[in-house]
Amino acid sequence: MSVEGFELRRIGQHGVVTVPAEVDITNTDEVRQALLSVVSQDVPVLIIDMSRTTFCDSTGVQAIIATYRQTAATGTELRLVATTMLRILTFIGVDQLIPIYPDLNAALTAGA
Amino acid sequence: MLTGAERTAAELERTRAVLQADTAAVLLLDFSSGELIATAAAGLEEEVRQGVRIPVGRGFAGRIAAQHQPVILDHVDHSTVLNPILLAKGIRTLMGVPLIAGGKVIGVLHVGSLTPREFTSDDVELLQLAADRAATAVHSLMAQDDRIAAQALQRSLLPSALPVADGAEMAVRYVPGEGVVGGDWYDVFTLPSGHLGIVVGDVTGSGLQAAVIMGRMRSALRAYALDTCDPAEVLCRLDRKMQHFEPGALATVAYAVLDPGLDRARICSAGHYPPVIASPGRPARLADLPSGLLIGAAPGAERPVATIDISPGTVMCFYTDGLIERRDRPIDHRLALLCQAVTAQPPDAACATVMAALVGSQPAHDDTAVLIFRRKPLGTR
Repeated sequence: MSVEGFELRRIGQHGVVTVPAEVDITNTDEVRQALLSVVSQDVPVLIIDMSRTTFCDSTGVQAIIATYRQTAATGTELRLVATTMLRILTFIGVDQLIPIYPDLNAALTAGA
Repeated sequence: MLTGAERTAAELERTRAVLQADTAAVLLLDFSSGELIATAAAGLEEEVRQGVRIPVGRGFAGRIAAQHQPVILDHVDHSTVLNPILLAKGIRTLMGVPLIAGGKVIGVLHVGSLTPREFTSDDVELLQLAADRAATAVHSLMAQDDRIAAQALQRSLLPSALPVADGAEMAVRYVPGEGVVGGDWYDVFTLPSGHLGIVVGDVTGSGLQAAVIMGRMRSALRAYALDTCDPAEVLCRLDRKMQHFEPGALATVAYAVLDPGLDRARICSAGHYPPVIASPGRPARLADLPSGLLIGAAPGAERPVATIDISPGTVMCFYTDGLIERRDRPIDHRLALLCQAVTAQPPDAACATVMAALVGSQPAHDDTAVLIFRRKPLGTR
């Protein structure tokens, strides 16, 4: 992807999407597309890495929920990495849908 | 809109004259249905009057919108066009280009000739120039219409006067975001049982669509509130209704039901920030409220309820994320700032203090709603 602060890669069986530092209406479409494209690649586990993210508006939350819905339909396991964003994600209850880990390594090795 | 339509009609007339064409028409994309709708025409007025609709991807105009490219039709017949009016009119040749604004197709502009004619690449270029001009004008008009409608809708939905409830005092502040109107709302109502309901919510997204969904949620919540005094049950039903009828929409809602004596509140939060509670002589705190999943995200979410005792003089401050979320400040700092600002004073003064401390003179990017309730202190009337 050409978007700054944005990365899409594969680590073993895991698809990892690194979300930019700020997610808002200006880049949320790209984030959503990147996430959904990984779901369509048939990886068993998708990790949304928000460890660099310090701001995410409600459109970003929408992208995460849309991804959750898609993974629920395809049977892909979804995990989230969050630090600064953890508090907000907990307030809106996203932690009840998607397990959240403090760093990428924890997310990669979870359940192993 | 009339002046906008008139302007578009004049533009079309000019386009038709410049290209020496017999007909010209603009179809605009209706995003909810995915259809192109005839909006303005010259020499082809029946298209507009009969409300022609063409699905994107089908027929002549539909192909242009789907391919984002000019299309020239040398032979107009049943196999190339969908719209019978074009055939009945006797149009022989058609040329059309997409209207593109903000990188997205928002419609199609086409011209037609009643005699066989070969449109040149210069003609295509001329038409595209006209289309670009029209797209910019239409886009800003639509955005303006959207904004005006959303503001009007929101104004009509927010209670103009808060209900009077014995022993309760309330005040609100509502500030629309810069340039955009979102889906924030607040609502206060008394129930037949004597309970008092307080709602603060925020529909994800902005503009007219968010305002429309907000309106539907507000009335659905009121309807369910009449049936039960259990806030969790009300939010469960609201969630189910939203997932069925507005799939994809998301919202956070906090709903508090106060006992008739106002000495106790049961609060349920669907992904919404907890209210701040301040009792006289004690520091304010965030209500200890278990979070529930935001509305619309997934079926069957648990809806935990917290019960909070309200002693006389206690203040509860409800708010939306526009009050506290700032790019350059961690959320906990902002919540701490809010807790410092909320004190057990009369609601209007408390609102003023909160707005001064959290908003100050900064323009707010997002909608901001604040609703402060106070149980009257003993000995006041």
